Amino acid sequence: MNYKYSMFWTAALGGAMALSMVGCKSDAEKAATSDNSSTSTNASSSGSGGKRPTPTGKGNSQSGDTIKLGVVASVTGDLKPWGDDSYYGAKLAIDEFNTAGGLNGKKIELLMEDSASKPEAAKTAGEKLMGEGVLGVLGEVSSGNTEQIARPAFDKGIPVIAIGATKTTLTDIGANVWRVCYTDDFQGPVMARFAYEDQGIRKAAIITDKKQPYSQGLSESFKQYFLKLGGEIVSEVSYQTGDTQFQAQLTELKSTNPQGIFMSGYFPEVGPLAAQARAAGITAKFFGGDGWDSSAILQSGGDAIIGSYFCNHYNNKEARPEVKMFLDKFKAKYGKEPSTTMAALGYDAALVAIDALKRCKTLDSASLIQEIENVDKLQGVSGEITLKGHNGNPPKRALVVEIRPASEGFQVFKKAYDYFESK
Amino acid sequence: MAVDHLFAAGVNFGSLPAQVVNGILIGSLYALIALGYTMVYGVLRLINFAHGEVYMLGAYTALFVSWLIYGNQVAPVHTFWWALPTMLLASMTVSALVGVILERFAYRPLRNEPRIASLITAIGLSLLLQFGGQLFLPVAPPPNINAKVNPYSDSMTFYLKPPAKPLADKASSLEAEATATEKAYNEALSGVPSGEEPGPTVTALRNNYFEARNAYEEAKGAAANSGVSVTIPKGQLIMFVVTMFLMAILRHLVMFTKQGRAMRAVSHDFDSASLMGINVNSTVTFTFILGSALAGAGAMMSATFISGVKIDTFYGLLPGVKAFVAAVLGGIGNIPGAVLGGLLMGVAESLVIWVGWGDYKDAVAFLILIGVLMFRPGGLLGSAKVEKV
Amino acid sequence: MSFWIRRLASIALAVGGCFLIDWFAKENLKDFIVRLVVLAALYITLAVSLNLINGITGQFSIGHAAFYQVGAYAAGLATVTFYKSQPLGLALWIPLMMLVGGVTASVAGLVVGLPSLRLRGDYLAIVTLGFGEIIRIVTQNLKVVGAASGMAVEPKMSTPMIWLAWLLAITSIAVCRNLLQTAHGLGFLAVREDEIASSAMGVNVTRTKVAAFVLGSAFAGMAGGFLAHYEGFLIPTMFTMDVSFIILTMVVLGGSGSVTGSVIAAILLSTLPEFLRDIQQISMAGLVAAAISIIAGVVAVRYVSQHVHTPSTRRIAYPGAIIGSIILTVVLSKVLAFIPTLANASTDGSRIRLVIFAVTLVVLMLVRPQGLLGHREFGWGSLRRSEA
Repeated sequence: MNYKYSMFWTAALGGAMALSMVGCKSDAEKAATSDNSSTSTNASSSGSGGKRPTPTGKGNSQSGDTIKLGVVASVTGDLKPWGDDSYYGAKLAIDEFNTAGGLNGKKIELLMEDSASKPEAAKTAGEKLMGEGVLGVLGEVSSGNTEQIARPAFDKGIPVIAIGATKTTLTDIGANVWRVCYTDDFQGPVMARFAYEDQGIRKAAIITDKKQPYSQGLSESFKQYFLKLGGEIVSEVSYQTGDTQFQAQLTELKSTNPQGIFMSGYFPEVGPLAAQARAAGITAKFFGGDGWDSSAILQSGGDAIIGSYFCNHYNNKEARPEVKMFLDKFKAKYGKEPSTTMAALGYDAALVAIDALKRCKTLDSASLIQEIENVDKLQGVSGEITLKGHNGNPPKRALVVEIRPASEGFQVFKKAYDYFESK
Repeated sequence: MAVDHLFAAGVNFGSLPAQVVNGILIGSLYALIALGYTMVYGVLRLINFAHGEVYMLGAYTALFVSWLIYGNQVAPVHTFWWALPTMLLASMTVSALVGVILERFAYRPLRNEPRIASLITAIGLSLLLQFGGQLFLPVAPPPNINAKVNPYSDSMTFYLKPPAKPLADKASSLEAEATATEKAYNEALSGVPSGEEPGPTVTALRNNYFEARNAYEEAKGAAANSGVSVTIPKGQLIMFVVTMFLMAILRHLVMFTKQGRAMRAVSHDFDSASLMGINVNSTVTFTFILGSALAGAGAMMSATFISGVKIDTFYGLLPGVKAFVAAVLGGIGNIPGAVLGGLLMGVAESLVIWVGWGDYKDAVAFLILIGVLMFRPGGLLGSAKVEKV
Repeated sequence: MSFWIRRLASIALAVGGCFLIDWFAKENLKDFIVRLVVLAALYITLAVSLNLINGITGQFSIGHAAFYQVGAYAAGLATVTFYKSQPLGLALWIPLMMLVGGVTASVAGLVVGLPSLRLRGDYLAIVTLGFGEIIRIVTQNLKVVGAASGMAVEPKMSTPMIWLAWLLAITSIAVCRNLLQTAHGLGFLAVREDEIASSAMGVNVTRTKVAAFVLGSAFAGMAGGFLAHYEGFLIPTMFTMDVSFIILTMVVLGGSGSVTGSVIAAILLSTLPEFLRDIQQISMAGLVAAAISIIAGVVAVRYVSQHVHTPSTRRIAYPGAIIGSIILTVVLSKVLAFIPTLANASTDGSRIRLVIFAVTLVVLMLVRPQGLLGHREFGWGSLRRSEA
């Protein structure tokens, strides 16, 4: 072989590559891309007003005796307690509907796929369900996982009802995505209001988990609203998921004398963070988001975390009739109370799907998308849900709960906030 | 304000001593783990990537022993004075055992293969223990050693410069008012039936209390900031003392015992040492025992004295990587180098937070390392030997 | 003339093959298998390019995901910034962006390659690892690329351009394979074997090492550029140390230095775990049985290779150990099922994925440190035995 020419193979291949690409460009594709590029302009607008891109795909349709719905749940991995509950909740609502006769005799079949608490696996799980012909997908409990389900669903034209995904920009993906929970844009302001109005905090510090998009977004929304109320943010420090020692950050924070500290991370880090803050002589009150919603925080935070406040979707001790009915049914079916709020939200997500299905004229994804968008004043366990005209983000209420020792029930209802405009 | 803000970013020189102390406390843990890396590298020229997982298993051992001792309910710790030493010994023993097993069954068979084979085995073992451990160990929700197992959760404050007298007086004068208004508010609040919105009188009392409290906190903070102080959590101090004690023992073992001398000889020249009648295998085992036991001790202390940290199978990943960087920074294979590297890494980390670049904390550690290696390819105390051809 | 005809025919075959895969996958396969077909192509590119640095040039790099990430983010950022203000269609724009990703990553490769002039082995390893972490942490904090929340790459490809991914994979294979037949390419091998000797023989060691880093990272960057437009979404956690280790596993499993080996290992390791995800539950009895059998197999192979010198026994050692292990697993899992604690306990199938990676690495190193193929290559020449 002549070595001199062997590199030629490569160069020619490159040339052929370029040529073949030119050949591939078509008008139809160009039109599609210019369509897509318009999405990025309104991707930044959230809340009412902006128009979300319409999904391109045709979706699935069904003609058999059953109506297939899918649910992606983190039934293994880090999010297991929440993922299990979300599935139990959705299953409860669907079974109830089927026992009551279903939709003109047709039963709903709920297919479940595990996401193992990981975004990549969530994507595969979602695609698998969509390939099996489900009309719509319920789930997930975290924003990162939901995002990976919602994007392919947009391409395919299949509706997604998120259960516990609070990331604000999530629903900008397209007009096929809704959620039944509030957004980080709301829970941040709720905690800001609670801290400012109810606890008299004027100088606050923020501790962010830089590795978590959830934490970054939540910190930002808390900060904006707290400033708007007239408060002062005296210090912002950060850490990363998995860090264990926070003395250096807390030393800096302490010298700015905050009266309250907003910790937007998840409970495994918040516990030690609170304990170390108390040990460092910080006496400020602690506030947080729904990432604290696990009784494990009592173990890791010890006495330091008792008396802190966080924002949640729902509380088992609320006096509303929906809550009592839901708890009774849940206990009858599974023999225990739900351990996280995701059971109620999963139940509500299924209620939204059922409510929309009842109004569907034809059993296909396109009309399901249309009817989910028309859900109006639905009484869910976690509060009233209105999806109509809100770009997928229902104006939900939020609760502030106080952390008490396990003997007093871990979360004690403190104050409820109805939806308010936080921009 | 008495604090001098010299830099635009608001660098606070009042907290510099505290940050240096924080750095040394964190760094001593890195140093303890780094010793394991460096000793193994010294004798085998092998980066034991699974060292972080030896550390992780040490933390799990401490967790299990604490469960054995206390069960699920947490008894007052003082009745079991032997609990903490037992946990420490158990962690050291288990870690040492794991280290020896890894060496005997994974590294020794590969000793005559190219070094890259052992290195990849080490990476494989590390992944195996991280992900395989998830199958057998409790991981979700992440367990932690109950905060109450640590009797030393409070802290001590030392003043290098006492707070200004007038400010301190002002703070204590405001304290009485804050307490009084709080009491008044709470009394009024207890009169309100639950579920009802408090009336205007209560709200007024509440606002009074908030004002008084905020004024007091403000004055207290101003007083504290007018002095220069160092706050040390007692648990961390104990950790530091134990770490120094263990390092002293290590130094004695390495410098003044027969095994230690053999270790140094093997480290100097593996082949010649074996020709001189040194039992190389037992020396390597001895090295693994020492390094892994130190990691186990570090794991038990960090899991216990840093209250409430979650333990999962990735518990050793971050400290492992940082300790490894510390070992390379000091010059891998060099025992004082590992200690120096660990302390430097700890101090660098807290100083990065001090100047306000905390977001880039972990990146800076690597940046320092790369910078040092550019100018001293063998690390700070290591010698840049050209490898044999 | 026959040379040109053969070249053109191979190119036509390669390009045609890519479109065939594309057509076949889109017509016949389910979406999630199409995804695997694309990912396999990307992993082939990554493994082959890391093989160039690690296996062929002998520079121990364990941070390959960093170049992948640099390419992905550079391409993604360029698309987000410039796509709307230019006339090209997406089908031309994406390959162009892959080149942008490749060039940016090769600059990063140059930055990492330079320290490799002074550092060796373990020190270089930690520098590449550190570089990967630095890149990840910087992107995690940079607002312009969406920090930890990630960046949406708009527009992304409307249907997966499978042919493009495979064209990239085949190009990377062709480059590496043909490079090894040039004098320069032999220089890469010489540097791996002995730096001092090769420099004495007139190989420019410095240039060779840097070239390996630049070329290897360029391909990783192009794969990243593809990924950005394929996923339409980038987030720093897509590029953690695990990814680097997985690519490294592929190189080592296939046999350091063997391009063919890297390709086979990349296809195996990128698709196999996805097929395993259908296993929802694994019983502990089976797991323990498998662990014991693997250990037994390893011990047996090592014993044979060290103490047995009968050629016939040595020849059947590997197949014997593999078959024996499988039989032992089946038998043991039945026996262990009698122990109630093991029979009733089970674990999630999804957790087993990376365990398989890890076990593969360790077992392979213990029984066959040179990898599946060693340094061997597959080629038509080796079938006909006429070409050197």
